[in-house]
This record gives sequence, C-alpha cells and structure tokens, in this order.
Amino acid sequence: MGIYPEPNKLMALEEAAELVKDGDIVAFGGALSVREPIAFIRELIRQGVKNLHTVGTAHGFDIDLAVGGGIVGVVQNTYVGFEFDFGLAPNFRRAVEQGKVVSKEDGCNSLIYGLRAAALGVPFLPHLNFETSDIMKLHPEFKKFKCPITGQTLIAIPALEPDVAILHARLADKKGNAVIAKPYVADILMARASKKTIITAEKVVDKLGKEPHIPYFEVAAVVEVPFGAHPTALYPDYTYDKDHIAEYIRLSRSPETFREYLDKYVYGPESHEEYLKLIDTEKLKNWKTW
Amino acid sequence: MEYTIDELMAVTMARLIKDGDVVFHGVASPLPMVAARLAKLTHAPNSIYFAGTGGGMNPEPPFMATMTQDAVLFEGAEAILTVDYIFNLAARGEMDVMFFSGGQIDKYGNLNNTLIGSIDDIKVKLPGGAGGANLSCEVNKFIIWTTRHRKRVSSSGREIYTLVEKVDFITSTGFYEGGDSRERLGIHGGGPYKTVTELGVFGFDEETKIMKLETIHPDVTVDDIIENTMFKPIIPDDVEVTAPPTEDELEILREKVDPTGVRKVEFPKDELKRKFEL
Repeated sequence: MGIYPEPNKLMALEEAAELVKDGDIVAFGGALSVREPIAFIRELIRQGVKNLHTVGTAHGFDIDLAVGGGIVGVVQNTYVGFEFDFGLAPNFRRAVEQGKVVSKEDGCNSLIYGLRAAALGVPFLPHLNFETSDIMKLHPEFKKFKCPITGQTLIAIPALEPDVAILHARLADKKGNAVIAKPYVADILMARASKKTIITAEKVVDKLGKEPHIPYFEVAAVVEVPFGAHPTALYPDYTYDKDHIAEYIRLSRSPETFREYLDKYVYGPESHEEYLKLIDTEKLKNWKTW
Repeated sequence: MEYTIDELMAVTMARLIKDGDVVFHGVASPLPMVAARLAKLTHAPNSIYFAGTGGGMNPEPPFMATMTQDAVLFEGAEAILTVDYIFNLAARGEMDVMFFSGGQIDKYGNLNNTLIGSIDDIKVKLPGGAGGANLSCEVNKFIIWTTRHRKRVSSSGREIYTLVEKVDFITSTGFYEGGDSRERLGIHGGGPYKTVTELGVFGFDEETKIMKLETIHPDVTVDDIIENTMFKPIIPDDVEVTAPPTEDELEILREKVDPTGVRKVEFPKDELKRKFEL
C-alpha cells in the first residue's frame, strides 16, 4: 500500500485513468451486479490501455465489458457471469475460448489470502490444503508445503499486490476519504492490498464529515461520476439496469455487433454527462416503487 | 392440493438444514437461497443464514432475487459482513452447510464449474467456481444440487450428461478419487453430503464414496435415473419416493419465502409442467 498524503486529489476521469498502465494488476471493486466502477472502465477502453490483469471475487459486467473492450490480458476473478438473469458472460467466454485472454480462475478464499498477504506485508499466507482442485494447475505460484508447527499439508498463497484498486463509492471528499455502500464485498481489503487506490464517487464534497470505509492516505485519485456504476447498482441510490444489460447481452453475440455497443455507449458519448442522456436514470432511482 | 418439481426440490433441500446450522450459498443459487429461508421459517429457526457474498446475515426479504447481490437480500438483515469475514468462518470449520452446483458432477461428487474440454483446449469456458475450490475443502458438509440431471442432445447430436463418470476439471473437491482418498490427503471438511436433482436424491456410499440413490421423485423410475446418469450409481433394493412437502411448507414457501417464484428460473421449461398430487 502506498501512502498519499496530499489534501486535494480531485481530478477528471481522463486524468485518473492515465494512472493505470499497460500490464497493471487491477482490482475492480463491487461484485456481480453491484457497485462496479463502470464509468472508469469505459474511460480505460477509450484510452486503449492494454493487457490488464484483473483480480477479484465473483464479478460480471465489469470484467465482460473490459474484455470486450480489448483492455484485458489475464482474468484472475473467481467467477465471471450474469447469474440466472442473463447467464454466461459473452465477451469473456469468447475471448477465453479463442485464447485471446488467459483465464487464471482463482478460488475466493485463495484470492482473498493473496490480497490479505499483500495487506499484511508478508510474502505468503498458509491456506488449508486444496491440492485436489484443478484450480491449483492454473496457479503454479501456489506452493504446497508442510506446516512447521503441525506437520499438515498447507498451500502457500503468495502476496497478490494489485497495482491499482478502482472502487466506486457513494460519497468521498477531495482528500480521498470514502464511504462505499453495502454490499462491501472485498473493497476494503483491495484498498489495503493495492499500491494505490482510485476512488470514483457519486458525489465528492470538501470534507466528508463522517467515518470513511477507505481512509484518504490509501487513495491516489478521486473522481466525481454520478451513476458511475451504471448499469450495475449502487444501493440505495439506484438499482442495476436490466434493460441496458439485456441490450448489452444482445449486442455481445459477436465481436461485430459488440462494436455497435462500444460505439453507442463507450466511444460515442463526448462525456460522462452525454452518456447519462442515453440512460433512464429516473427509473433506476425509483427502484423501490417498482 | 398439487405441488410442482421446483417446490419439491426447494423443500427437500431445506430439510437437509438442521436447526442451529450455519448456512451459506454462493452466486447463481436461487434454490439454495429459497431453501435456506424456508428452513429458517419452518424447522430450523436458529439456523444462521448468510445470503451469498453480499454478506447479509439472517435477512428477511419480502421476496427473492435472481441476482445474489440484490438489495432485497439486505432487507431486515441483522448484519452486513464483508466477503472475507464469511470465508474465515468456513476456514475455521464453523460453516456447517454450503450449497454447490456444477456444469459437470461426477460419481464422487467432484464438481466442474470451470471449463468443458481441457486446460489446453477449452471448448466452453464456464463462469467459474467462485468460492467452491476452497470452501469444498473447508465446510463441514456441502449439498450438491442440479436441475439438469436429465441428459440432453447437443446440436451435433452428442448426448450431454450433467452427472458424468469423470469431470473435465475438478473445481470443487468431492470425495476426489473415492474411498479414503480425500481424507488421506488431509483435506478438511466432510465433503459432499447429498445430491438433490430434479429426478431424485442421492447420498454417498460409506466405503466407496460413490453416489448412492436414496429416493426418486414421484413421477420418476429407477430406470430413468440409470438412463440419465453417465456413471453407475449404487442402487439399493429399497428406493423410496421422495417425501412430499407438507401443506405448511408449501404455504410458507409460496407466500412468505418466494412469492415471485424465483426458484423456477433454474429449470428448463418442460420440467415446470411436472405436477404431483399431495
């Protein structure tokens, strides 16, 4: 974890995205259908960063969009899909089957141990034996060893230090103190484990005035992007956009049709404000009355 | 009074949860979600239910969601916990019941959620096992469920089974190579406990650890089981019919737990036409 003492880290989406470099290990916050930093991922696609290595537990839209946008080389998430609403992740599946992206599927707990080892500053953490899982074959860096205390077989999970964690918060201040929103999933651990954290937030204020989940000194950049998780949810402010995801899935059937999606929603809008004009934000805000 | 296959499976799975159990399920798990809630509202009020990786503990959702991070799963929750906290419980041996499914399930209860084909030649990339690889080697017992036991024919005319002789990839560890192979390697946790499918319920033979038929659903024959299972399950002489739900269970399931019928999304449409007389 780096230390970032500066008092004002507020910057534009474009500027913050430049902090992500080709080949970086990136941890996107949130999970599956909630609180993923999608506005930031759209900007990464526009900037054309290459060969990112994503780490995280069970995710969906974020990883599939990033893979479809051509910015990912390795996926170490433990699950990538759309559950029973929309099924398999089309771009992810196609890219892995065609050998364009390497799937280094991990288990949730081994992934967490890797992040936790990085957060603790130790080279590895011992995990209970799971050598019978073929997940081990995708991770030659996991080493079987004999416990010096009990003699039992354990698996050493090496520290996994993301170059950058990108977390979407509900509220942040310019310094970087941030309040995320439930479900918290692995966000706090990701911030602790990563070299730097970028916060995108629904709203950025001068002074937070309440206890943050993420303290400012872990944070290198703060960006204000309302509806920045769209089409994933940020509860209680808005829910996930099923209509948008349905359109996404439809256009993801082939790389050619997916280009239409990218043109309409990623390359087309001049700014995030323009993007939001394509979305029925009122409907998503009023989800509780559906 | 009639009931349907989704109701029979939900009730059968719920009954495998004991009062006081710590219960968890992962992503894409409508039936386990419904079963865990149903158990809490019927015979297992003191079970402790973690509703997926969103971390809602003992929520009281007015209806269920197809997405496991949906806000409805936080409604009335007694706590919202981070994902690493829940996994710590399992590593300490304090997670009693977990539910797993698989694109392929073998006779020893090993599960494949990762890929069809091989590591070097991936034919189909499945979404992934999420917590399964680790949790299957930690939790006290896990329950396997599938709504796709019935074999089907691919577009190229090949028969596709879910219950296979050998999985293409072991994501979650069952009884591994059978016998005491799991125990011998010092794998923690009790391994698979039951397999509940849309055709019947299996346990595991004590010695060989091969899946052993326990009950068949009311419209199913032992021959149906044999025909739709690629491996040879152990079939005892006395296979009973799966116990039907009670009227109470059905009422709580339909009205309190899952009024919108989320449990049905897992089933191929034809399966939902199956109706049984109570």
